[in-house]
Parts: sequence; C-alpha cells; structure tokens
Amino acid sequence: MHEIGVRETIHFLGLTFNIETLKMTWLAMGIVILVACLATRNLKVVPQGWQNFVEMIILWLHDQIDAMMGRRGRMLAPFIVGLFMFLLASNLIGLVPLMASPTNDLNTTLGLALLVVAIVHCLGLYFKGGHYIAHFFQPTPVFVIINMIEEIAKPITLAFRLFGNILAGEILIIVLLKLMPIWMPIPSVAWLAFSIFISCVQAVIFTMLSMAYLANAVKEDHAE
Amino acid sequence: MIEINATIIAQILNFLILVVILRVVAYKPVARLLQQRSDKIKGDLNKAEADRKAAEQTLADYKTQLADAHKKAQDIVDKANVTARQEHDAAVAETRKEIERMKASAQAEIENERNRAFDEMKSQIVTLSLAAAGKVVSKNLDTKENDKLVNEFIAGLNKNMFADLR
Repeated sequence: MHEIGVRETIHFLGLTFNIETLKMTWLAMGIVILVACLATRNLKVVPQGWQNFVEMIILWLHDQIDAMMGRRGRMLAPFIVGLFMFLLASNLIGLVPLMASPTNDLNTTLGLALLVVAIVHCLGLYFKGGHYIAHFFQPTPVFVIINMIEEIAKPITLAFRLFGNILAGEILIIVLLKLMPIWMPIPSVAWLAFSIFISCVQAVIFTMLSMAYLANAVKEDHAE
Repeated sequence: MIEINATIIAQILNFLILVVILRVVAYKPVARLLQQRSDKIKGDLNKAEADRKAAEQTLADYKTQLADAHKKAQDIVDKANVTARQEHDAAVAETRKEIERMKASAQAEIENERNRAFDEMKSQIVTLSLAAAGKVVSKNLDTKENDKLVNEFIAGLNKNMFADLR
C-alpha cells in the first residue's frame, strides 16, 4: 500500500509531474484505445461482442447530445464519447489493487474541466460572437459579477466533484482494508461495490454537465 | 495532496491525444456504421412498403381479372342457352310444318283415291248400262219387261257392284 497523500514526482525540463498519475492516465488511455480497437476491428451491421458495448455508449451519448445540444452538437460527439470512456476507465482502474485512478489527482480533473470550459467559451464566441459576450451582462450590467462567479464556479465544481468522489472512494478502500481484520471482508467488499457504482455515476455526471455547459454555447438561440 | 503542477498540462494533452486517436480509430467507423445501419433499415422499410403496395396492386388485378373471367363465362353460358332455345324452337316449327305437309299430302291422296274410285265407278256404270241396254234391245221392248230388267240390274248393282265403294 502506498502512503496516502504523498505523490511521487519527477522533474522534467524544470517542470514537476506526478508520475503515478501520468502512468495511470496512459494505462487508462491504453484500455480505452484497446476497447475501441477491439470493438471496431471487425465492424458488422449486426453487432457482436465489444462492438455492442461501444455502440451502446455512442448511441446513448448521441441521443443525449441531440436532446441537449441540437444540430451543432454532433460536431462535439467524438469529444464527449472520448471524455466518457476515458473517465469510466480512469475511475474503474483505481478499484484494482495497487492501482490508482488518474482522476484521484486534481490535476487531471481540473485539466479536463478547464478544457471543457475553454471549449465552451471558444465555441460560444465562434457561433454567437458579440451576442455571447452580451449575455453575461443580462438582464442588467450589474449581473456580470454573478455571471462571472458562475462561470468560474463551473470548472471548479466540475473538477472537485469528480476528484473528491474518486479520492474519497480510494482512501476508504485502503482504510477499510487496514481497519478490518482479514476474516471480515464484508465492509470493504460492500464499499468496493459501491465504488464501482460511484465510478460510473461520476463519469456520467461529469460528461452530462460538460454537455450542459457545451449546449449553452452551441445550441441555436431561437431569439436570434 | 492537492497541489497543482505541470501534470495538469500533461493531462490536457494526454486527453486531447486520446480524443484524436479515438476519433480516428473508433468514433468515425462506428458512426459511419450506425448511419449505414439506419439507412439500410430505412431502405428496407421503404422497400417493404413498396412491396406491400405492389402485392396489393397485383391482388387487385387478379381479383378484377377473376371477376372478368366469371362474367365472360356467364355470358358464354347465357349465349349458349339462347342459341339452344332458338334451335329448339326452330326444330319444333320445322316438325310442325312437316306434320302439316304430311297431313296435306295425305288428304290430297285420299281425294285422289276417291276421284279415281268415282271415275272407275262411272265407267263401270256406263259399261253395265251399255250391257243392260244391249240386253234390253235384244229382248222385246215391253215396258213391263224393261222395268223388271232395270230393277233387276239395280238390285244387282246394289248387291254386287257398290259393296266395296261404300
């Protein structure tokens, strides 16, 4: 068991990196790409095996995208599908003993959240131009303060929600294993099962909220 | 535990690389396949609809043809009936005419026979009269004797000559 709260770091080009997070990220990426390759190696009109799994995710996200974002949303579909699959894999590999989730590091979750928010603002400016900036000053210019707080809160809440859930889950797994004698595995098994559920739910929540934020920027305004 | 360092940049880059790879490896082929499938299903549904319409059309055609055939058959039977009736009537009329003709010819024959018999009787009467006259002339011309002769002759006629003419 590794020490909780202490991260191995390496220094490269004068920058500090959390090497375990990076390794686990590459592992999660590898798993996602492997699943994707397995699923698409032998595509058939009648789906089989892994193709079902990937198709299910893509179809479900397509439905959500169509419902939330409208016509332009399909452009972002690869991003959202990738986000969901990466988060699912990241959250779940933390439950394997001796491994950690990349998402138990705030650097990962905040990085993703900032990326989402950056895409939201870029697309908002691209599609709506001045109208997008003007809507921060609605209904009166004073509201710009509240709107700014809201915009800043978006990435922070997004990042900390995922980070907190996953890190807490992993810490409690370690704590339960240390706390309980080995002949009493029920609490840790129950918590592990719950963590699987939490991992899936957090991946869904992160993806859904990202879609909701992106929808604001992408959806056609009927008032326009 | 919570320290932001250069990992954040690395993670963003990692994720962008992953998205690009996934887009090329998985998303595009699967999305294309899904599109193909929905197109195929749409096409199949349209084709099934078209086939159903064609089948209905064919059925309607067959029904019309069957009805036509029934009607034609009925016409033929009706015509045959009419023809048979006409032929029957013609035959009856012909037979009646034949009967009339035969009746007429029979009557004519009877008439002829009667005339012939009458003529024969007449010639017999003349012959007998001549014979009787001869007898009368050869005997004396007594009135009483004459009457007796004539009466004898007529009685003989009645008895012998006209027996078959009656």
